[in-house]
Amino acid sequence: MTLEFTLCLLALFLLAGIGTPIAYSIILSSLVYLAVAGDSIGIAGKTLMDGLYQSFILLAVPLFIVAANIMNAGTISDRLLQFCVAVVGRFRGGLGHVNVVASLIFSGMSGSAVADAAGIGKIIIEMMTKENHYPRGYAAAITAASATIGPIIPPSIPMVLYALVSNTSIGYLFLGGIIPGIVMGIVLMFMNYVISSRRGYALEEAVPLRELPKHTANAFPALLMPAILLYGIYGGVTTPTEAAAVAALYALILAAVFYRALKLRAFYDILVESARSSAAVGLVIGGALILNYIVASENIPNMMADALVGLDVSPIVFFLGVNLLLLLLGCVLDATTIILVIIPLFLPTCRELGIDLVHFGVVAVVNCMIGLITPPYGILLFVINAVTRIPLGEIIGEIWAFLAVLVVALLMMIFIPDIVLFLPRLMGYEG
Amino acid sequence: MKTFIKWFSRGTEFVAAMMMAAMFATFILQVVVRYSARTPAIAEALPFLDPGNFGWTLEFCLAIWVWMIFWGNSFVVRDQDHVTFDIIFLRVRPEIRKWLAIISALAITVGLLLSLEPTWGKFYILRLKSTATLSQLFGSGTKMRDIYSIYALFLIAVSLRYAWRAVQAYRKGVEDEGHHHLKVTDE
Repeated sequence: MTLEFTLCLLALFLLAGIGTPIAYSIILSSLVYLAVAGDSIGIAGKTLMDGLYQSFILLAVPLFIVAANIMNAGTISDRLLQFCVAVVGRFRGGLGHVNVVASLIFSGMSGSAVADAAGIGKIIIEMMTKENHYPRGYAAAITAASATIGPIIPPSIPMVLYALVSNTSIGYLFLGGIIPGIVMGIVLMFMNYVISSRRGYALEEAVPLRELPKHTANAFPALLMPAILLYGIYGGVTTPTEAAAVAALYALILAAVFYRALKLRAFYDILVESARSSAAVGLVIGGALILNYIVASENIPNMMADALVGLDVSPIVFFLGVNLLLLLLGCVLDATTIILVIIPLFLPTCRELGIDLVHFGVVAVVNCMIGLITPPYGILLFVINAVTRIPLGEIIGEIWAFLAVLVVALLMMIFIPDIVLFLPRLMGYEG
Repeated sequence: MKTFIKWFSRGTEFVAAMMMAAMFATFILQVVVRYSARTPAIAEALPFLDPGNFGWTLEFCLAIWVWMIFWGNSFVVRDQDHVTFDIIFLRVRPEIRKWLAIISALAITVGLLLSLEPTWGKFYILRLKSTATLSQLFGSGTKMRDIYSIYALFLIAVSLRYAWRAVQAYRKGVEDEGHHHLKVTDE
């Protein structure tokens, strides 16, 4: 490792450690690298701008953000919830199942776990705790756990970021996420059933079956959204990026015209907030582009690949090792940083060992999403704590069982690649 | 002064919102143009939708995206909107936290200002390079440096903002509130 790279890492950890925004920490430490190496520090800005200006797929990020914000602002979430209550609310642990199923459907429309938790999650936590049917810590924990499905089922912002660093196809990544997302939903509902039966949570009053058509009709236009998105991408009608724009437009029409729940003023606020979030995440992406440039010119990923291949590590051991590392990192870092900065280090090794990059990417994204609910640093826990005021301690106390089944689901995806690769292969992926 | 700041931030937010809206609309336009071209009836009835007139949409969106990022971080993104590793920051005594905030603010100010001149130097050559397709929209004078110039504005604006933050932290200390985590983005 060269002196300039050591100093660069030192600056990065020092600045980030004292609370400098991650994006600025990266930019500043890259300036340190260039200065010590004797290059012009202007290269940092040039690399960053060139990288952003060439990455067309990144345009999906702001558009998915707008789409998610529109859906949370309209009454789309409420209608979906009523539909889910009518369908699965009648079973033991009913509202817990509603929570998971709503997340599954909602994740087919938004690409963001935090949006799921803050929007639909908040409403359902209120429902679960209203008549003291469920302890509030339990309600918050299952909401956090089910929100992790959001970016696994397409569309997905983290997968767009992974596609950027790995040069894999977004379309196949999106397809690869569908079955894993459903598997995660099933294991969570199983755990919810077990806990609800053991603790004897009260049953909800079942919605009469004859009212089911009414609720379905009410939610139907919203239920069409995932279908429109998938048809757009896989029917060759739109690129994944354009699909993001079409999704946002569809959500806008639904909320404003069909459900009449969105005023012009609220739409303006959505635009401002979306621009704000996009700019903040865009800067992190830009920083990661410079950092990747530095890491590549230091030849780190290939050195790592050589070392690991030389050690004769078997692919499955490597895969498990990386996942363990990502889980641990997920306790202290956020998903964007992990995907953009840490994961590229392992990609050359994956290629050497013959690990499929779509398989690796989907598993890595699932892993990062589990990282969102691992204490002490789990953004989903913070978000739910912030929007509901349920104490973090109570949420964390209830999260472990759900965390455990999600890790089991993760292991299944690692050992049975077909869970991820079946659908992409069905659609012509050769990997 | 207070009213000025209020109107300034309203104004810059308005610009950011309009960029977002323009990007959104341009994407929709791109899809519409492509499909109307495939439908002969529409192509005949509305000749201005000819795809030849809309080669600029893709690069226009990229330019807006870049401008939105750096305009946004210059004026619209608040310090607490950034992704931050704040475990240590929030655990130390307020007196130490104040100094951590001052150190990171000064590091940002000094670092970004130092890079201003060399960065502009790297952009210098781009004054000659025309954009690939945007001249169709803005005329042939549009050069790559015009698009990249937002980065220079960003360096200046953010340096000033964090210099001001350092002064404020020195005078009043840092408020207790942690960072809001990005609401909708990555995760």
